Amino acid sequence: MSTTASITKSKLADLVARLVAGGARVIAPVRVPDARPEHRRGRVRYRPVTDGSTIVLDATGVPDASLKSVVFPPTEPLYSYAKKGREVELTAPPLVFQPTVVLAARPCDAAGLDILDHVMGWDLRDELWFGRRKATTVVALACTGPADRSCFCTAVGLGPDATRGSDALLVPENGGFAIEAVTEAGEALIRGNADLFGLSDVALAKSDPLPVTPTTATREQARRAVAANLAIDPEAIRAWLGTHFEDALWDPIALRCHGCGACASVCPTCHCFDVVDEPESLSTGTRRRNWDTCQAARFTLHASGHNPRGDQNARFRQRVMHKFEIYPQRFGPVLCTGCGRCSRACPGGQDLPEVLSAIQARVGGAA
Amino acid sequence: MTELRDLARKLLAEGTVKAVLGYEEGPRGLRPVFVTRAEDADKLVFDARAVQNLVTWLNPRRPHVRRLGKLAVVVKACDARAAAGLIRESQVKRDDVVFLGVRCGGVGTDPMGPAGVTPDTVAPRCAACTSRVPTLADHLVGPELPAPPAREGADDWLARLDGRDHAERWAFWMGELERCVRCNACREVCPLCFCERCVQDKSQPQWIESSPHLRGNLSWHLTRALHLAGRCAGCDECSRACPVGIPLGLLNRAAARTVARRFDYVVSDDPGVPAPIGAFRHDDAEEFIR
Repeated sequence: MSTTASITKSKLADLVARLVAGGARVIAPVRVPDARPEHRRGRVRYRPVTDGSTIVLDATGVPDASLKSVVFPPTEPLYSYAKKGREVELTAPPLVFQPTVVLAARPCDAAGLDILDHVMGWDLRDELWFGRRKATTVVALACTGPADRSCFCTAVGLGPDATRGSDALLVPENGGFAIEAVTEAGEALIRGNADLFGLSDVALAKSDPLPVTPTTATREQARRAVAANLAIDPEAIRAWLGTHFEDALWDPIALRCHGCGACASVCPTCHCFDVVDEPESLSTGTRRRNWDTCQAARFTLHASGHNPRGDQNARFRQRVMHKFEIYPQRFGPVLCTGCGRCSRACPGGQDLPEVLSAIQARVGGAA
Repeated sequence: MTELRDLARKLLAEGTVKAVLGYEEGPRGLRPVFVTRAEDADKLVFDARAVQNLVTWLNPRRPHVRRLGKLAVVVKACDARAAAGLIRESQVKRDDVVFLGVRCGGVGTDPMGPAGVTPDTVAPRCAACTSRVPTLADHLVGPELPAPPAREGADDWLARLDGRDHAERWAFWMGELERCVRCNACREVCPLCFCERCVQDKSQPQWIESSPHLRGNLSWHLTRALHLAGRCAGCDECSRACPVGIPLGLLNRAAARTVARRFDYVVSDDPGVPAPIGAFRHDDAEEFIR
């Protein structure tokens, strides 16, 4: 029953330097300035780092946007085209991806990547997604508690120390971090930097089931603190949604929703995209895919002018349906990691936990 | 607060309106609420956390809101300017809405912030605000409040940017706009962005690249700022809603300053005063047409 390995904050900075020197891109939460005077303290975002001492390592905050852009950029070229007479020549971007290590990812963000693997490899294998996935090693940092009242990862089967989607998990301990390998890639990262992780002859244990470490009590405490925010039974909710496409719940549900899509842009699991052709000259251009959202009226607008989701109530229902009925029905996991960002980003005060509670109340009984 | 609640209760009970759009306590501070039953009027709250501009919900292209029937809407003076814009531009008929004006002492930037304002929490747009009592109002409620505390305001910020040279200003804006992911929150929360079909959404031909790269982002945000010149009510909801923190309201403010200088026009909550974009004046300075 051993702590698998550990690392101090200063050694973590050494790790960053070593990875960067080795040609890797290192992504981590850092505090970036915000020009708006009311946000003088700046905000926390995932950014490429070269200096490990800038990484935000307090395990309670949630970066503004999720990690998904690391694997699924807001815009990327699918191919470029050149018209030559009657022929069209297509050139796909090279499927070469820079090795990337994400440090101190939030477990909810890491989980999002794993959940999205299902849809990205479903009918067509998305080579851009899986290329970056394969090139990316995710080291999550266990949260020591909820960021605020909007965190609800435990309600969707995850938790502040969940390892889904992570290759390794850092757990705050004695001013430094214990680290557990979750996958072979995580193990390779730890073994490859054994000097920094204080490894001697301690065997690396797989973390499933989680090894009992001195932090177990704290971890349990963190889970309980998050669980106090929301208790639902996702399976019961899925069943209810499956038979309540038409229900009085939906009629007024999105009155306060602008349909602005801020929620989808910060969500670790919203993955819909639009495909556009951007001409660069009369005969050349680029086909790109760009983030899109079902919350926009135009998302389902037909060429005929008909819109099957004609108002925001229908569009918000779609967001709930896709996350808690359609996706689990088809792929297993719910399309939500409980990060709470949609509630935090919403300019209209729409609150997903509140909506889930309302559905749970209709199902009867809290989970 | 009692005054506002009593008024809302009365309007709903007597059937003058079908719903009152105001503010309530939500899971994350104050948020919009549609009160449809007189007995729910006590949900209504108004204090410095009432940061949202509720006039955006009067956009005629929100069928789920229109279905509720006649609305009363709580407006601060700045919100009333946006409402006047909708009336001026024939989006809303004056008599179709009951405006519940509230006297304002400045609001914060965060619906979860304190209920009062301090120099640290008051919104930069409220600094030096001179229109704290709406005149576009069917009813006026709330106590008279002192002027918002002084702080570095949005205009000071603009002046600071003015003090930098062209290259620095360009670098500042490119750094900001680079982060845009084109979620369109700025457009959707804007009370004056009511076009049935936004120029950004046109693809045949495509006037503005919809991709979130710097070229497309610059093209979009500058076009939007120009479309709002002389129309923007200055509510700053675009800045607040932006999930990547771009101070978009500053662009609109800069445009408003130019409109004031060139056309002697400042957006007010009097829908009878025509805006420069929709009016012809013989004394317009036309030196740009040679």
